[in-house]
Amino acid sequence: MISPHILRKLFVAGFAGATAMISTALAETIVIENAEIHLTGQAGKIENGTIVMEDGRITAVGRLVNKPSGARVIDAKSAPVTPGFFAALSGVGLEEISLNGEGNDTRTDNDFPFSAALDARDALNPDSTIIPISRAGGVTRAYVTTAPSGKLLGGCGSVIDLSGTQEPVMAGCLAQNVVMGYDGARRAGDNKAGAFAKLRLYINEALRYARSPAAFRDSGTDSDLKYLDLAAFAPVARGELPMLVHVESAPDIRRLIKLKKEFGLKLILVSAREAWRVAPELAAEDIPVILNPMDNLPARFEAMGATLENAARLHEAGVTIAFFDSDIGYTHNVRLLPQLAGNAVANGLPYEAALAAISTNPAKIWGLEAQLGTIEPGKIGDLVIWDGDPLELSSRPVAVFINGQQTSLENRQSKLAERYKDLSKGDLPIAYRGR
Amino acid sequence: MRFSKMARGFLTGAGLLAIAACGNGDKQDDKSSKDDKGSSIEMPSKNPYPSTYSPYSSKTTLLTGATILTGTGDKIENGALLIVDGKIAGIGEKAPKLPKGVKKDDLVTIDVTGKTITPGIIDIHSHLGVYPSPGFASTSDGNEAVSPNTANVWAEHSVWPQDPGFTRALAGGITSLQILPGSANLFGGRTVTLKNVPARTVQDMKFPDAPYGMKMACGENPKRVYGNKGGPGTRMGNFAGYRAAWIEAREYKQKWDDYSQAVEDGKDDATMPSQNLKLETLAMALDGDLKVHMHCYRADEMVQVLDMAKEFGYEVASFQHAVEAYKVADYLAEAQTCAAVWADWWGFKLEAYDAVRENAAMISVPENSCTIIHSDSERDIQRLNQETAKAVADGAKLGIETPPEEAITWITANPAKSMGILDQTGTLEAGKMADIVVWDGDPFSVYTKAERVYIDGALMFDLNDATLSPRMDFEIGQQDNGPRGGAGQ
Repeated sequence: MISPHILRKLFVAGFAGATAMISTALAETIVIENAEIHLTGQAGKIENGTIVMEDGRITAVGRLVNKPSGARVIDAKSAPVTPGFFAALSGVGLEEISLNGEGNDTRTDNDFPFSAALDARDALNPDSTIIPISRAGGVTRAYVTTAPSGKLLGGCGSVIDLSGTQEPVMAGCLAQNVVMGYDGARRAGDNKAGAFAKLRLYINEALRYARSPAAFRDSGTDSDLKYLDLAAFAPVARGELPMLVHVESAPDIRRLIKLKKEFGLKLILVSAREAWRVAPELAAEDIPVILNPMDNLPARFEAMGATLENAARLHEAGVTIAFFDSDIGYTHNVRLLPQLAGNAVANGLPYEAALAAISTNPAKIWGLEAQLGTIEPGKIGDLVIWDGDPLELSSRPVAVFINGQQTSLENRQSKLAERYKDLSKGDLPIAYRGR
Repeated sequence: MRFSKMARGFLTGAGLLAIAACGNGDKQDDKSSKDDKGSSIEMPSKNPYPSTYSPYSSKTTLLTGATILTGTGDKIENGALLIVDGKIAGIGEKAPKLPKGVKKDDLVTIDVTGKTITPGIIDIHSHLGVYPSPGFASTSDGNEAVSPNTANVWAEHSVWPQDPGFTRALAGGITSLQILPGSANLFGGRTVTLKNVPARTVQDMKFPDAPYGMKMACGENPKRVYGNKGGPGTRMGNFAGYRAAWIEAREYKQKWDDYSQAVEDGKDDATMPSQNLKLETLAMALDGDLKVHMHCYRADEMVQVLDMAKEFGYEVASFQHAVEAYKVADYLAEAQTCAAVWADWWGFKLEAYDAVRENAAMISVPENSCTIIHSDSERDIQRLNQETAKAVADGAKLGIETPPEEAITWITANPAKSMGILDQTGTLEAGKMADIVVWDGDPFSVYTKAERVYIDGALMFDLNDATLSPRMDFEIGQQDNGPRGGAGQ
């Protein structure tokens, strides 16, 4: 007899292998019919539509499609179906408990020597309870990254899927996390000019190092960055990998745009509470913005222009936007992406644009638009069936599909709630229930 | 590293307190007064910083055609509400009659068909003014983290009335709120209850006749802050600290009771005990003149606190955050202690790890329970209606149905009760302050906004009128954020 322990190991190994190859023989063919399908690309919203998923991918979408024989058919009963939501920026899987050393790998101690060389894949915990909890909220993908601690640079992040696999990384080391603005200044002599001076220096040093590591070493250059950091930063300095830059004020954003032009960098802005003031320039330079649509307080002098309409104004100007939250929504509550989007709608963003800001646009920002972000044939089968308007506060997922397979919505929280539903003493203590 | 400007007050120990009645009419007590016998009694003032709030001008207003959630558990479809002299003069399915002496010509009738009227929203847990925007070290005034017992500090002495956060909260329908000191300390200090009306002084915002509250804190925060600073360094150290202070307060109270008795008995040689601000606040709690609001996450700790309250003879007006309240909802209801919770925050520290989204709904199940949704956040205070909507939805998934007329009490009547101001506000009943929100749709929808916010009958915010969107001094003459600016952000 095989012990349960061994069985579980076998299961995990088999599951991980299948997912890595995006399911082949194991993959069930699923048909979702009678659905209100959102974000189908050119076709827009489709009422009473059908979606077919085979071998992990969407193979047909429309009102009249052939259903493959042997498929499992799910009647959505007119419910909305959206692409799985995608956290454009998060610490999912890197942090279990913010305030516990053991449970938080989103950052390092400030005096830790390495920065750009950090790679979220080396800290990622696929067993984090946040993964199934977020999935139950309709989040199927997340960009996860370490963040700047003592230095301007914080390492590179990856896109993961939230299916529960042991091998969740879909695309690795996609951008370098950089902090500018007041938070950058605090890491550079408490001066914004210091932060720009350092960033330029890092770019130059990384380029020199990449051209000839030996020559760089021989030159005796006294860099704040370790050789590993310089190597990691070189693709960013060459404009091959984007800089994910935390910044707030319009003047700082304009300076970054100049820097981008000077060095041929790729930029993605984060937070950017005054981005709306620079909207035409951002659109012209094709610089996306990952923002929190609820930020509306003059929290600092660099955020005096903060407004609930940041998202709507950027969208109107043609800027690609996605949503994130720097607080609990960065990790434990990425499941609140729909609430962020709903509030953006309440403040002028068109509905479909708000949906796109938590699905299509993150896929685009991370270079995965061919595979994710809309419900179109050829894309990966990441879908959510909702019990109401996906952006409404009362709506929850009924079914979540990742890589074309239905996933479990059970999680630590749902089990705890179930366990304490009945507080009566019973025959045995509560610890014996719902194990 | 997070980039939020928020100092994450709850991590560094932002906490809360309760309010207790001082009930002295908000007039500054004379240092000396004459008793019946004409002898001169020296007593310290119980209310040295009295409320100077007075309502702004209001019109006789009739709101018609709305769905009204009264805050008393009722819902009126196509109802009407009459405001006269800043008070609710009547409410019902038909337009209430104008009281005698009120001229028909003075009546302003506003058709709010299709909209919803609720009581003004009340946040029992806010740090606006003490952790204001902008959030710099120089404005960080919420946690006197220098000693585990700072029952002597009063939040009102830190409140910066110019915090732009007050205006954003107003746009979210907040008409009253309790400002608490942080939760670094076992005894964090006194809270203050405010009317959310912009003012030059905090006294001009103080809710008339609201009892004071006191903030206490359980668990991780005090032991983290003082573990290397002389303690407490453990949860048992926390309890030893509370109990030692209560014992001292009991003795202090006895001294003052003895003194009062001696004065009453006409003993001229009675010597007034020396005033001690820490013990005075604690003694007020023992007298039932001040409400104790206890920051506590874990179920087991909450039940131990209830035992401690029995030990020393005081009441716990509320547990704040109460992330594990669902595990002891029966104990809380039995003690008639409110639990003020978030809809879904969790995991920022270990004592917040067992959160469930159904917490609020599960708390509401036993009879005599008291569920409150709080913010503890300058962002979420702007949308307590949304937080409530989420909590209700998750309860429903577990089979706990909470109709809108009941859900609204979680952010109106229940916090008012816990803060000791339910006799004045928190429900839409004739005679109460006309603290009212007209929502432009279902208040529990993400797309809905507070369209008109009345405080004591005065229209303080109008979504469609930029002149009724207050801006604080800090925002004046600075980079603007749009045509409405200020509250309407």
